[in-house]
Amino acid sequence: MSTLTYIIGWPLAAAVALLWVPRQMRVLVRLVPLLATFITMVLAIKLFWQFEPGAAGYQFVQKIGWVTSLDISYHVGVDGLSVGLVLMGAVVAFAAACVAWEIKEREKEFYFLLLLMTGGILGAFASLDMFFFYFFHELALVPTFIMIGVWGRGERKNYATFQITLYLTLGSLLVLIGLIALYLRSGANTFDLVRLTAYLGKHPLSPDAQLAVFPLLLFGFGILVSLWPFHTWAPLGYRAAPTSTAMLHAGVLKKFGLYGLLRIALPLMPVGARHWLGVVAFLCVGNILYCGLVAMRQKDLNLLVGNSSVAHMGFAFLGIASLGLIGITGAGVVMVAHGFLAALTFGLTGYLYQQTGTLEISELGGLLRRLPFIGSALVMAMLAGCGLPGFANFVGEVLVVFGSWKSVPIIAVLALWGALVIAAVYMLRALRNVLHGPLPEKWAALSDATNPWRKLPFVLLLSGLIIFGCFPRLLTGKITPAAAAILQTAAPQQP
Amino acid sequence: MSQTFPWFILFLPLGAAVLITLFTHERRELSARLSIAAVVVSFWLSVLLFTDPRAADPGLTLSVNWLNVGGLSVDFGLLLDRLSLLMLLVVTAVAGAIHIYSYEYMRSDRSFSAYFAALSFFTFAMLGVVLSDNFLQMFMFWELVGVSSYLLIGFWHDRPAAADAGKKAFLTNRVGDAGFLAGIILLWAMLGSVNFDFLAQKLAEDPRRLGAFSTVAGLLIFCGAMAKSAQVPLHVWLPDAMEGPTPVSALIHAATMVAAGVFMLCRVFFLFGATPQWPAGLTWLDGISALEVIAWIGGITALMAAVIAIQQNDIKRILAYSTLSQLGYMVMAVGLGGRTSAMYHLTTHAFFKSLLFLGAGAVIYRLHHEQDIWRMGALRHKMPLTFGTFLLATLALCGVPPLSGYFSKDALLGRAYEQNVPLFLLGLFTAALTTFYMFRLIFVAFLGRPRSPHIEEVREVPGVMVLPMLFLAVPAALLGFWAVNHYLAEQFSSIPPEPVPPWYEQVFAPFQHLPLVAFLGLGAIACGFFAAWGIYGKASKDPLPEKLGGLARAMRNRFYFDELYARIIAVTQELLADFADWFDRWILAGVGVRGAHGTTEFFARLLRLVQTGNLRTYAILFGAGVVILLYALLTR
Repeated sequence: MSTLTYIIGWPLAAAVALLWVPRQMRVLVRLVPLLATFITMVLAIKLFWQFEPGAAGYQFVQKIGWVTSLDISYHVGVDGLSVGLVLMGAVVAFAAACVAWEIKEREKEFYFLLLLMTGGILGAFASLDMFFFYFFHELALVPTFIMIGVWGRGERKNYATFQITLYLTLGSLLVLIGLIALYLRSGANTFDLVRLTAYLGKHPLSPDAQLAVFPLLLFGFGILVSLWPFHTWAPLGYRAAPTSTAMLHAGVLKKFGLYGLLRIALPLMPVGARHWLGVVAFLCVGNILYCGLVAMRQKDLNLLVGNSSVAHMGFAFLGIASLGLIGITGAGVVMVAHGFLAALTFGLTGYLYQQTGTLEISELGGLLRRLPFIGSALVMAMLAGCGLPGFANFVGEVLVVFGSWKSVPIIAVLALWGALVIAAVYMLRALRNVLHGPLPEKWAALSDATNPWRKLPFVLLLSGLIIFGCFPRLLTGKITPAAAAILQTAAPQQP
Repeated sequence: MSQTFPWFILFLPLGAAVLITLFTHERRELSARLSIAAVVVSFWLSVLLFTDPRAADPGLTLSVNWLNVGGLSVDFGLLLDRLSLLMLLVVTAVAGAIHIYSYEYMRSDRSFSAYFAALSFFTFAMLGVVLSDNFLQMFMFWELVGVSSYLLIGFWHDRPAAADAGKKAFLTNRVGDAGFLAGIILLWAMLGSVNFDFLAQKLAEDPRRLGAFSTVAGLLIFCGAMAKSAQVPLHVWLPDAMEGPTPVSALIHAATMVAAGVFMLCRVFFLFGATPQWPAGLTWLDGISALEVIAWIGGITALMAAVIAIQQNDIKRILAYSTLSQLGYMVMAVGLGGRTSAMYHLTTHAFFKSLLFLGAGAVIYRLHHEQDIWRMGALRHKMPLTFGTFLLATLALCGVPPLSGYFSKDALLGRAYEQNVPLFLLGLFTAALTTFYMFRLIFVAFLGRPRSPHIEEVREVPGVMVLPMLFLAVPAALLGFWAVNHYLAEQFSSIPPEPVPPWYEQVFAPFQHLPLVAFLGLGAIACGFFAAWGIYGKASKDPLPEKLGGLARAMRNRFYFDELYARIIAVTQELLADFADWFDRWILAGVGVRGAHGTTEFFARLLRLVQTGNLRTYAILFGAGVVILLYALLTR
């Protein structure tokens, strides 16, 4: 059995096991998910460590046939692009399980959904079969809606749940139609990605079909990643979501769309990609600049962070749209880096919310004195968010700007401005207003995270950012060959 | 053996910062000692490296690959040559003195450990800038310097002014850095590398390689220096940065970080050897080279800051504007092609200006954070050692022979005299102003009668603070005899420099070399001094505001730069943000999403009307349907 199967299997098995745990045994209810996600994380670290960057094709592959008539099989494996995502997803999942202590009611159901989400996300990144790729994503997506609806916060919780559910369902519906169209038009009669890629490499789809099917996948995946102008669900949803859900969704699940573009849309429909990615290059200015400006105007800390997370997705899109080795590698780094960062930031704002009961920026202030650990971690997160060297985000963003310079110089300059100046403006304003200045009387009794268990999730996520920020070759050494393989099929004339 | 020294010099301060943050946070004394020990060892290793003849010539690069993706390969490398060795020595020496000084100055602060961690981190970042062998690595350390400056300016972050000042410093620097990074990418896109040696070689082979973008690339890179070295128009952050603790101002905002821009320009001077050319559309600027722009920006900064300094009353702000003005000198010198004189002045300035700040810090320490010079007076008798070193540093800053500043300023003005007479005159006038505002400070704060009742209780500061001042006073006084320019000329000029004359001849060398410049320089000092004596020798309040009227008010208000920028930002960025927010809220989320939702719901409601549940209605509708179908089929 491949390590990957264990990585996906532990959380799912734990979810099932949790159903038999009586809800009165609260310690056990918490222990099971913690243990399962911890094992998953350790296995994912081991997987990342053992991954051989130079080797061709997928590694840790396992294949079990299922529906032979349609050629659907449980087929998992990772390449340089997905191995980083699996690692990041597993770390975030453990961190999310750690911060779920804030959930006080219906714990059992919450943890059940959390484990389902974890297994689903990791499964989606590991799948080499379009059916399971989609199935695992839905397995992770649906719990998101329930969690926001039941354990969410704020007055507009119901509207946020409503919007995020409809929006994301629409996105995945488009993806589903696209995938089925791809299956039917390819003539290969297989859902297996490896075989499909090989087949389409020899018998490419007609350009007309590519131009028609590619936008289905592009906008379907685009909606899932909050591509401008389909982004308004994200800030609202994250504000209403419970902390763990926001961490997992913004950090990991959102990357599914980008991953799908890179894994399926680009290599299988190169003509469509070259035609449509020009549009994406313009739309991502909407993400980077426009959402950055919107973030400046937010009065709620989570809306600000949510908009900034939308803005960061613009860099990943820009990297993909550049259709070059540097840009796509950069997009891969941004995906991993932003996963850690989004989880870290939402985890920290969740802690603040749990302490203060509000994230209204004007209500907060001076918290750094009172909360040295949480405050310092938030300072680091915000600085990472405005692209400070030493954090992985810098590596990703700089690669994207370098990579897009030659193809779309104007957009690259705008992205540069967005990364260095606009992001700094809203991040520093938030720091100034939330952490600096005099401490209001009413917050004098807040308590910092002193317990190592409370600190652990944030320390883990920060280490991820710093390790990959200081030693980027750990990531790029793996991503670059995978990106080169994708480019070889997607844009053969540009090696 | 010396192969490993540079790594230790760079990483020891980082190690201290990490250790303090992770482990010794609760143990104040230990934290401070760790931090001090790290920088002192770094200093000692720098001295050893400096005296090692193999290190400087022909220079040495130690590097490992840091990032390699497609056509972008970035090393993490340490470049050792005369320029970086000199900078290493300056940075570690000043940092060492200030670390020790801080041990007393910050003793009562509740975040003592965090302070030392930040200071050590800054030292690491600054040394990284100095040692970098390529643009991207330098940019990364450049940003880290910026962020440690942000953290240290806002160290007392519960004070709104300090928190705002830190934010302003970081944002202003970010604007410059955006230009800097764009310049780096432009160079990479055109020449294929970010490595200094590689780029220099490419440009030396063919100065036209950059084609139409040569001037633009030079100016974009200069943007970085403009922000870090606080040149007009990005100078506004430096005076506000004085909200940080005074040792921080001495280290970061006087001696090292703000000099990084000048250092960087010297490091990448090869860029300006490219044939100047503008891209299509900007060809009307032909004839203007990047260096010319740099020289004028430096000159204007030097003059303007000196003028503003005359009407400041806060002791640290006077020194801050003085720093701006001296940085303007250095940038001007680089623009005039005088790398040697710029680095010379940078070196001497680092020592006497940090000494001035430490003196100011001593006064502030004893006066319980009083910074207004009009509430001081007569400190000469109360704090003789502080006064002595402060006066020495002032004289060095003014350029009185045979102190260090005399030599470097003369070299700088000599360069201007040879290259650009208007800038020389501007520099000369600035020199007179410098003497004027510095002696205004001396007369008001240290001489005369006590201007506030607290002065009586003032004592000299403890030895831990005096010792670093004495340590810095030695180079501030004597550095001129060491002939830094000769040391650097070995690297910067192709002509081998003349042998260094004995020390007694050095004092008179400027008079033999360019006598006019030397005499005019001395004359400017004399003018400034006598003017200050005449106006402030016995003044009980500042007479200038009455005499100068509106001009004095403009000077006090720093020529309204902050107000102007606030207005510009309000009509550009803030307005755009308002628009984006409005569009997001009303058009995308409102008309778009709610609209789609509303239309769907509207049709749903419309269709619901049909579902009456009434059998007769259904029957009628059914009948009507049949009729319509039959009609359609039969009339076909």
